[in-house]
Amino acid sequence: MSADRDGRPGHAVTIAALAVVVFLQVPVLVVVLAAFSTTSYLTIPPQGLTLAWFGKVLGDPTYLSALRMSLILACGSTALSLILGVTAAYALFRRSVPGAEAITAVLMAPLVVPAVVVGVALLQYFSLTGLRGSFVGLLMAHVVITVPYVVRSALASLAGLDLAVEEAARVLGATGFEAFRLVTLPLITPGLVAGGLFAFITSLDNVPVTIFLISASQTTLPVLIFSSVEMGIDPGVAAVSTILIVATGIVLLLAERRFGFHRFV
Amino acid sequence: MIRRRHGLLLVAPLGLVLAGFFIAPVLMLVPTSFGEYVPGAGIAKGVWTLENYARIITDDYYREVIWRTLGLGLAVTAACLVLGYPLAYLIARGPERWRVPLILLVIFPMMLNLVVRSFGWIALLANRGLVNNLLMQLGVIATPLKLMFNMTGLMIGLTHIYLPFMVLMLVAAIRNVPRDVEAAAATLGSTRIHVFASVTLPLSAPGILAGSILVFVLTVSALVTPRMLGGPTYKVMATLIYDEYMQLLDWPSGSALSFALTAITLAIIWLSGRVARRWAGQP
Repeated sequence: MSADRDGRPGHAVTIAALAVVVFLQVPVLVVVLAAFSTTSYLTIPPQGLTLAWFGKVLGDPTYLSALRMSLILACGSTALSLILGVTAAYALFRRSVPGAEAITAVLMAPLVVPAVVVGVALLQYFSLTGLRGSFVGLLMAHVVITVPYVVRSALASLAGLDLAVEEAARVLGATGFEAFRLVTLPLITPGLVAGGLFAFITSLDNVPVTIFLISASQTTLPVLIFSSVEMGIDPGVAAVSTILIVATGIVLLLAERRFGFHRFV
Repeated sequence: MIRRRHGLLLVAPLGLVLAGFFIAPVLMLVPTSFGEYVPGAGIAKGVWTLENYARIITDDYYREVIWRTLGLGLAVTAACLVLGYPLAYLIARGPERWRVPLILLVIFPMMLNLVVRSFGWIALLANRGLVNNLLMQLGVIATPLKLMFNMTGLMIGLTHIYLPFMVLMLVAAIRNVPRDVEAAAATLGSTRIHVFASVTLPLSAPGILAGSILVFVLTVSALVTPRMLGGPTYKVMATLIYDEYMQLLDWPSGSALSFALTAITLAIIWLSGRVARRWAGQP
């Protein structure tokens, strides 16, 4: 590797690295191009520009209800994961639970087991318990797959905390909950925002668990795209995807401006 | 200090949710994997068999899918390492003002919907996709190259999808390599390549291992990208499980495959933990 004597990357490394950055953005750019293209397959240069696909998608109740379902699921599971995950992480951090290490391992386990296995296990479980196709079942499934991200970021933020601050609040007369809410919680908020954002995106992104659990009347946006691609490339899919790309970009930039998001990944 | 009783009270809600919606469902899959599938009727009552597991090892088709999955895992991991290291090096050691924009450009595709990214690769790699169109326009090829529904398509798509994870792990690892050790080696007359090979690379090895394990485990368990770029015929373990459940309705066989896949990922994670501990023991 051609690195300088002082370890700075040389020209060859820089060019290779920038080529990889371009490689990472290529499919994103292609999707955006396809959304504006008049032909159903892609050419370079594009044959003509149109906004028709966006109009078609935004007027299509199937896409709109799938989008609504995805957002409700993502908001609900993120909120539940934050409440459950932060309380659990706080107790683990204060070492007020016996076997804290074993419990942490269990809380992280949904990350280790392949998502498709979680999906089929829940499919069978919900079929037996009558929860199949129910919103509650789907919501709890999403809590299971998102909560490890919240627990992990909460534990990491708490680890960087000086316990003395909270003790000081207690000495000054705050109750345990007041001390947590007024002192600890604000200090770990940036980490929790990052964890919450990861949880939100994980839920919004999920296909391998969701696809086994949805009913005909409630599909999510990624599952809808996934199934419609099986029937062939449709520029409508590119338009929906472009909307998601723009939304993701905006959220990422906002999170970076407000909290310095890149420090938490 | 909060008391133990309170601590348990705080962990209990999440513990119950995971017990009810993760641990119990996975445990209840165990008896299914020893059940016998009767076409049309589902699972035979009161019959227990090891057939589902035996078939994974003896059946040629299952074996082929498992080897393909593992080979794909290795190939994608290697590709992510080769592509990821220069980028991670530039982020860790390059100009300060490039750092945040570069990291954001790495995170952006990672945050983007997996289905959308895979769809982008379909638009690129399909028979009438961008790559084939471009090559035919330029007269490089006369008939479209087969870039999808085979190993090539899965390799490209999965490498793209898991590369950001590798880069982020490597950035952390390279940043942990003390600059003065490299400087000392350089002062003592080592060439750049020698400094890199004998100092930087070995000292970033724990990060390389961690990133490789992550990418390997994610690749062998991937469902969405292999399905979208591999189609219904070119299968890996996860898509085979999906079909056993959704198309063939053979739950016993699907659950046995599920446990085989879980066992593979757990074994890899356990092995890497041992290797990492050994490295830490003798620096």
